[in-house]
Amino acid sequence: MKRIQLVVVSGLLLLLSAPMTAGAKPWWMRGVDSNETDFLPPDVAFRLAAHLDGDLIKVRWVIADGYYLYRQKIEVRPESPDLQVQAPQLPKGVMKTDPYLGTQEIYTQQVEIAVPYTRIDFGAHPIQIKVTYQGCAEAGLCYPPITKVVFPASAIKPAETTLPSHPWEGMAILAGVLAFLLAGLVLRKGRKLDTPA
Amino acid sequence: MNDRALRIAAAAAVILVCIWAGARFYLMRVPGHGDMDVPGAQAGAPDPSDAATSESMTTDPAWPHPKVPARLPTFSLNDLEGRPTPIVRWQGKSLVINFWATWCAPCRREIPLLKSVASEWAGRDIAVVGIAVDYRDKVLDFAREFKIDYPLLIGEQDALNVAAKFGMDSPAFPFTVFTDRRGEVVALFVGELHRPQADLILSVVQNLNQGIVQLPEAKRAIADGLAALLKNRAG
Repeated sequence: MKRIQLVVVSGLLLLLSAPMTAGAKPWWMRGVDSNETDFLPPDVAFRLAAHLDGDLIKVRWVIADGYYLYRQKIEVRPESPDLQVQAPQLPKGVMKTDPYLGTQEIYTQQVEIAVPYTRIDFGAHPIQIKVTYQGCAEAGLCYPPITKVVFPASAIKPAETTLPSHPWEGMAILAGVLAFLLAGLVLRKGRKLDTPA
Repeated sequence: MNDRALRIAAAAAVILVCIWAGARFYLMRVPGHGDMDVPGAQAGAPDPSDAATSESMTTDPAWPHPKVPARLPTFSLNDLEGRPTPIVRWQGKSLVINFWATWCAPCRREIPLLKSVASEWAGRDIAVVGIAVDYRDKVLDFAREFKIDYPLLIGEQDALNVAAKFGMDSPAFPFTVFTDRRGEVVALFVGELHRPQADLILSVVQNLNQGIVQLPEAKRAIADGLAALLKNRAG
């Protein structure tokens, strides 16, 4: 009986986590068996990540085969208060000539840019930047400019982690507490409390 | 394994599952909560509004199925002179509605093809209409430079709303919609259109208009034909 209860609890937790991975699919994924001719969703075609490296914010894209980013369309702006960023240091790209668009400098495979930054609030706010970029598929499709707010990894220093800086962090902590409570109930089941004689 | 060990294992499993679920949930929400920008686009979801939908309709079996309307939805956008122009202006004609933008290289590459399609099929009740999702000034300059001689409609958020009416609620460009003369949507082609694909789709649309084939057959013929073209190209 107890084993059944445990299985049910675990099953319920798995079910609760399932909708997080499902969700409504965008138009490029609806009801389709993927094959090599599918265009990728932009977040898969251009995987974005950022981290802090001394006085630089490093922003990196991993670009899927057959896709490219335009060098001149990359922009980085500060999003968190009191953060100042300088012009990004963009590595040299590859020149791509299109008879109808002219010559453009592009990035393929992967690229990392460096953005010098300064903070005038001595770390009171977590660093957030707004990154804009635009790219296309060689097969003949272009995505509109994409703008994302990014929290560079290791941007939150220990002093700042005492308070949740994002509502979801609060929820994660609450979920953790509930998980331990639930685990405690599972362990306590069937045990008698030892009381002093 | 005794009962106590089993309970400890179960508790550990519960904690791990919760941590995993929490981590997934957090990672889904926090990094990169941005979205695509289109010049002039404002926040707010476009209204897919009217138009019955047929999930299964698409031109390319290899392409994800957008929720394409069964019939041409009603909409109106400004033309090059800034006059509101309803799409019903071309009622009774088959339409090739090409969504594009000036910053998009494959969209630019399609223009000569669309110009020749417009002139070649003009006498057979097939009209090309371009919908530029872009800033008006840029489109006017581009249209002048490229001598676009088929009708152009221009819009920013309003053109995005029209794209959403065709099921392209997160649009990428170019994409082209083909209708028959009764306003049935026959095909939606995503990506750069080339001559063989355009000829294939338009010949089927013509057969449909002449009553030689029915709509389901036409859609199947287009899907099969495009798949064959793709296979030939890959081979």
